[in-house]
Amino acid sequence: MHVLGIIDRGVDGDAVERVVDRVVDRLSRTGRVGVVRYDATIADGTPVQTRDDGGSVALGGDVTYDLGADGDWTATGTGLTVQDALDRLAVDCDYAVVVGVSELRYPSIAIGPEAAEADGDDSQLAVIDAPADLETAFPTPDQGDADDGLVAALEATEPYETLGSLVERVKRSPKAERSGAIATFTGRVRAKDAEDDARTEYLKFEKYEGVADERMATIERELEDRDGVLEVELYHRTGVVEDGEDIVFVVVLAGHREEAFRTVEDGINRLKDEVPLFKKEVTVEDEFWVHDRP
Amino acid sequence: MATEWKLFADLAERAGEKRVTVEAAAGDTVGDALEELLADRSDLEDRVLDEEGDLRSQINVLRNGTNVLIEEEGLETELEDGDELALFPPVSGG
Repeated sequence: MHVLGIIDRGVDGDAVERVVDRVVDRLSRTGRVGVVRYDATIADGTPVQTRDDGGSVALGGDVTYDLGADGDWTATGTGLTVQDALDRLAVDCDYAVVVGVSELRYPSIAIGPEAAEADGDDSQLAVIDAPADLETAFPTPDQGDADDGLVAALEATEPYETLGSLVERVKRSPKAERSGAIATFTGRVRAKDAEDDARTEYLKFEKYEGVADERMATIERELEDRDGVLEVELYHRTGVVEDGEDIVFVVVLAGHREEAFRTVEDGINRLKDEVPLFKKEVTVEDEFWVHDRP
Repeated sequence: MATEWKLFADLAERAGEKRVTVEAAAGDTVGDALEELLADRSDLEDRVLDEEGDLRSQINVLRNGTNVLIEEEGLETELEDGDELALFPPVSGG
């Protein structure tokens, strides 16, 4: 899944909503789109739903799904963060649009007069003044022409993956009917290696763009050539990964458990040995490159 | 045509930059390009070369994604037009 933030930088009225409409409309032509809206006025723990007659009804339970015909649904609940919502969308959406969050680590389109000065980072796909400028930044393709510049720009960014999204992907494999096993490995940020360790706050990963992806693709291909191994997915995050967060996933779809386990282990070992990724560790006391402290 | 070095991790920090363009070109060797890279960068040189002036064993040198020390002729590998060279410490992903 690819995540796109739509960020309000001082525009009036419904400008942000109009951009969201257009973006969702265009992305929907290529894949399934999820939308996450952050609205701080939704508060106080009790999920409330507005009825058609304008009244409201408090729903029971911490999570409530209302289901309709054909699998249509609405939901309310408590205790969900933007990150949690994205993790859930990643399982079956190709794109996620995030609205109402001003600081995002994902690719974004900023709208409004304060945009240019407020943001200097490279995650910014475009800075526009008004909804109509979306057209200038990413022209809508002609009828029947599949190449949407907005889709292409978003697809060129780092995808958002979770263990769940990778597992779902291998399950959708055409070879899945011969699979009796999925084995996975998740590498995460360890806060402490011993009781008296200085606590790790975050790791920061640098990647050799292009070469790292080629090497990961080679490892996937070579492992998939093994007898009984059907699909292999490797994914490694880059940038800042905080204490407790996931860093790396290896997912193997195989005929039987033996080759699934073996391949998952070989996959993570080869990734750690062969892929040009560099880890800087920042603890409460210090910061250092991990290869300097074997 | 000039050749570009990409530097990573602490090597980039010691050089003060992540990309360095050198004049070594087609016909010159990877070693020539390395010498030029290290010429005014003693901090980086100390990290990359040992007391004898040889490349330290943990330092990787890639030419267009291929490790020249393992799969090519090491620092004697000849450059071609538009090569991208990379210099980095042991990898530490995961």
